[in-house]
Amino acid sequence: MATESKVNKKKVSTYQIVQIILGVVFGGYVVWRLYQILIANPVYGPDTWLRFAIAGIILGSVYALVAIGYTLVYGILHMINFAHGDIMMIGAFGGYFVFEALKNIQTPTLADPKLNFLNAHPVISVILAFVVGVSVAALSGYFLERIAYRPLRNAPRLVPLISAIGASIFLENAAMLMFGAQRRDFTNPLVLTRGEGWEIPVGGGTVILTYTGVLTFVLSIVILVLLYLLVQRTRMGRAMRAVAENKNVAALMGINVDGIISQTFILSGGLAGAAGVMWGIHLGLVYYFLGFIPGIKAFTSAVLGGIGNLPGAMLGGLFLGAVESLGPAVLGIDFQLKDVLAFGILVLVLIFRPTGILGEVLSEEKV
Amino acid sequence: MTKRIYVLASLLLLASMMLAACGSTPTAAPAATEASTEAPAVTEAPVTEAAAAGAPEVCATDEFGCAVFKPGDVIKIGMGAPMTGDYAAFGIDISQGAMIAIQDAGDINGFKFELVTEDDGGSPEGGAAVANKFVTDPAIVAIAGHIFSGATNAAMPIYEKAGIPMMSPSATNPDLTKQSSKVFNRLVFTDADQGRFAAEYLFNKLGIKKLAVIHDGSSYGQGLAQVTNDEYIKLGGEVVEFTAITPGESDYSATLADVAAKQPEAIYFGGYNAEAAVIVNQMKQSGLDGVIFFGDDGTFGQDFLDRTGANSEGTYSTSLVPPATDAKAAFDAAYEAAYQTPAGKLSPYTWTAYDSAASLISAIKSVAVLGGDGNLYIPRGALVAAVRSIKDYQGLSGVVTCQENGECASSGPTFYVAKDGAWVEAEK
Repeated sequence: MATESKVNKKKVSTYQIVQIILGVVFGGYVVWRLYQILIANPVYGPDTWLRFAIAGIILGSVYALVAIGYTLVYGILHMINFAHGDIMMIGAFGGYFVFEALKNIQTPTLADPKLNFLNAHPVISVILAFVVGVSVAALSGYFLERIAYRPLRNAPRLVPLISAIGASIFLENAAMLMFGAQRRDFTNPLVLTRGEGWEIPVGGGTVILTYTGVLTFVLSIVILVLLYLLVQRTRMGRAMRAVAENKNVAALMGINVDGIISQTFILSGGLAGAAGVMWGIHLGLVYYFLGFIPGIKAFTSAVLGGIGNLPGAMLGGLFLGAVESLGPAVLGIDFQLKDVLAFGILVLVLIFRPTGILGEVLSEEKV
Repeated sequence: MTKRIYVLASLLLLASMMLAACGSTPTAAPAATEASTEAPAVTEAPVTEAAAAGAPEVCATDEFGCAVFKPGDVIKIGMGAPMTGDYAAFGIDISQGAMIAIQDAGDINGFKFELVTEDDGGSPEGGAAVANKFVTDPAIVAIAGHIFSGATNAAMPIYEKAGIPMMSPSATNPDLTKQSSKVFNRLVFTDADQGRFAAEYLFNKLGIKKLAVIHDGSSYGQGLAQVTNDEYIKLGGEVVEFTAITPGESDYSATLADVAAKQPEAIYFGGYNAEAAVIVNQMKQSGLDGVIFFGDDGTFGQDFLDRTGANSEGTYSTSLVPPATDAKAAFDAAYEAAYQTPAGKLSPYTWTAYDSAASLISAIKSVAVLGGDGNLYIPRGALVAAVRSIKDYQGLSGVVTCQENGECASSGPTFYVAKDGAWVEAEK
């Protein structure tokens, strides 16, 4: 017993003491604020809380989808693909142009002579938008890897990182030159009109659960589950995990490492493309700089959840979305400070769990 | 070792900054002879003597010297405006309005006028960059602009040093004329006026008792929101929420849900159309159904209506439409013929844009001197004073008379309400 306590004593460093003090102070403050805002001095009714939660979860599900792309690439190459947000922008433009094209196809009926394809077949239109958006983004992901990363495969780790930042700036400016700098409106089919949705009466108010929001949330969850199954259950997924574990040994086992890396980039590009189309459908604006902020946020989500970990990235995305919309309300600060809060949380999480919420112990070793 | 590199790098940086500063000095305060050597690229060595011989006396005494134009040169008027990006509609419209003034201006003894439009993106950085570019062009004698308050604020000190007068058709921030700048003048009402009128309209005319104020944190939006907030409280109204959004985002639903919880009857927004459109589109889903959205002169225009569609119904904004005169009718016709768009559809500043260029041209005409050598001399210092002392100038927006601080506005704001996808004048 005596020796054990001695060992324990040795283990407690000043860093850990700081950790504990920070934890108690921050945790205490949050509990006190929650008491204040929920019981002592309720500012918001249940309807407002529900609105915050809905806004946060929908945004979080898009973050999660983009974050998965960061994590996939990180898991395999141990590099941050900073151009990932811009791939999302390309996907959004893909979806936008599909809708624009379908809008111009006239399919007049007796009842409505001005009917266009977009409104006549909304389901097909949305599927088409996703197919095109995802393919264009997946293709961009493939070429991004071939041009910007593959030649630097054996270079020092900082080099592909800088190449990624360069690729990001290139993609943004190329999009600006091709499509112009103005924001464009993403025209949805009428059934998916933004702001329309199911009305739920809650605590004296009516909360609108928007159709576009539900579509975004459900689709991203479905995609994330499919992706998880792909990585865990298929041959390709097994090969990806093997490459992530150790490229050289994987190559010895007969795995085409370059091929797997290409496939990973296609997969992560496709996910970003889907996120881009959802972003367009739900929020309605596409422009060349669209991917930057969600890209940064998704990267944060990936780190929060534990980079390299698939469920972690998903959890991190939803967590970040919730913090952004619920956090300022709970802490009683201005909503303009939501980003300060989000990145503050990131710092806190990294202090307590440097590997992220679901981070593996392995990641230290991999680094 | 690294320290040394830092020291070296900072020394180099310092040196380059000093060089850059020296480079711009001659243009900042050109003496009479210097001005002639700097005159448009056509100037050649022997001209210096000729110019000195033919230069009118005023050039020797003028604080900033003269701008010299050889026969065949054009007199340039600069305009810094957002020509690309979210706020491009403003820049395009204003430059088009000013263009018509240039066409109407004719010439001085054969010297024609030209409008040089540079894209400042509406940002302070862009404003300073464009101003620095303009002051290096000796043919630019006056600035019709800038358009946004933030860009104007950054550009003012640069023109101040170079002695180039400004006449902004649209920079409304009250502080701009409080900096005792000699060169800055504006034709538009200030945000102090706009905020006061808006607060009165909301409180008295619309009968709003609980107001939420949102702004975008820009020098224009925040200033206007603050004025409206203060005036509204003075009138006896209750401001239930005063909050800011981050410009450039596409989801403000959490912020709006927070505003909705305070149950305002109306929202006053200080900012521009890009963010206003996002807010208006997300109001219903955030529990602000039926709440009046009251915008400013930055949310007026076709762009806002295009982006909000049916959601725009019943939203307010501010514009300035001059009284119906023959001159206005002639301008409207000329504008529509040239650009296939009715005047005032893209932005509220079409008419002040014309006035700003036209009044600058009239001031230029009043000070320009034809030298004995056939060159045209425009004394810069005298021009700055002439613009500031514009009096009883008959413009489209009314009779323009500049006060000592540079305020030249001839009319106050008019409020507009969106009905069936078009802006119509709201009841007074």
